[in-house]
Amino acid sequence: MPAIKPKRNYPMMDMTAMCDVAFLLLTFFILTAQFKAQDAATIETPSSISAIKVPDKDIMIISIGKDGKVYFGVDNQQTRLAMLENITQTEGVQFTDKQKKMFSLQANFGVPIRGLSQWLQAGIVNPDKMKEIVQPGIPTDSTAQNELAKWIYQARRANNLLRIAIKGDNVAKFPVFKDVMASLQAQNINKFNLITGTEAPPAGWSSDK
Amino acid sequence: MSEIAQGGGGGHGDKKVRSKKASTRVDMTPMVDLGFLLITFFILATTLSKPSSMSLAVPDKQTEKQETEPLKASKVLTLFLGKDNTVWALDRLAADDDKAKTDLKKVAYGPDLRTLIFQSQAQVDREHGKDEKGLSQFVCVIKPLNTSTYKNVVDVLDEMTVTKSKRYALVDALTTSEKELLGDKAN
Repeated sequence: MPAIKPKRNYPMMDMTAMCDVAFLLLTFFILTAQFKAQDAATIETPSSISAIKVPDKDIMIISIGKDGKVYFGVDNQQTRLAMLENITQTEGVQFTDKQKKMFSLQANFGVPIRGLSQWLQAGIVNPDKMKEIVQPGIPTDSTAQNELAKWIYQARRANNLLRIAIKGDNVAKFPVFKDVMASLQAQNINKFNLITGTEAPPAGWSSDK
Repeated sequence: MSEIAQGGGGGHGDKKVRSKKASTRVDMTPMVDLGFLLITFFILATTLSKPSSMSLAVPDKQTEKQETEPLKASKVLTLFLGKDNTVWALDRLAADDDKAKTDLKKVAYGPDLRTLIFQSQAQVDREHGKDEKGLSQFVCVIKPLNTSTYKNVVDVLDEMTVTKSKRYALVDALTTSEKELLGDKAN
């Protein structure tokens, strides 16, 4: 008895349209993409009802980690290079071209000036291990050793349009924030932004303006 | 789903000789797969929700002391931000007042704090009215203690926006009478 082969009727679907849509969306996302920068530390910001967005360009971000370590970063690679150049001149530290290049690729850092060269060198030798190096944070405490103030000053010299934002972690203690504020106020910077998450305002609340 | 087009090779049982037509249909499924895979990647790699920011303006550091009129305690709500997310509130009293010790209230963040600010605000408005510019005379002094966290500061500043308190000050130094008043709560 011959086996009856059931006639297979494969449903066919025209994928062309779907493919078009997929690639259209893909193009859109590629063009609008802004990549997440690799940060030196994970920071969970508190949330606020403020609706002001953080600017994308010309921004300096001072981050305060959970453990009170302070990290510093500016958005533009050119600014980073110019800033490092200024620091080299004033602090008398030397960097090789490779180290400068490496520095310009870091979104932010938390290493004192003296240890910077060593940290960058470690990054050049083994880029994958760079993230695992524990960064001690930028010293902010006493006035003579306030390296944060130096960085802020040199970054603003490199790009005077820089806006200043502070990104603090939920559990960061107030004294650290106070030190950061003091570093800014010492240079007559009295207006800055605090980066927060977005939260819905209470029901019935509306802004005055 | 879709499958490779099966035309082109047909015509086995057909007696007539036909020129073989090669099918021009291409299976798009892998291409769609790839397209969506890349879309997913780009969506995930993009920062979708941008964080917001609150602006904070602090007073200019004064090199020479200016003589200013002292603030009336009856217009001021002082908030001491302590440890473990608690606020010690001193409502319309100076720290060296006799009643301060008993009036120092422990408040939690959130609705309790908001209610307190609203009450105090309303009370000040009732007693003092508006100033010449038509603004409320209510002043909130925020004093974060060393044990408070950054979140606490942001939360209180946010409360200022919510309660529309226009006059507030972030002060980090405690006066002697305040230190005395708070005692071990400050640590």
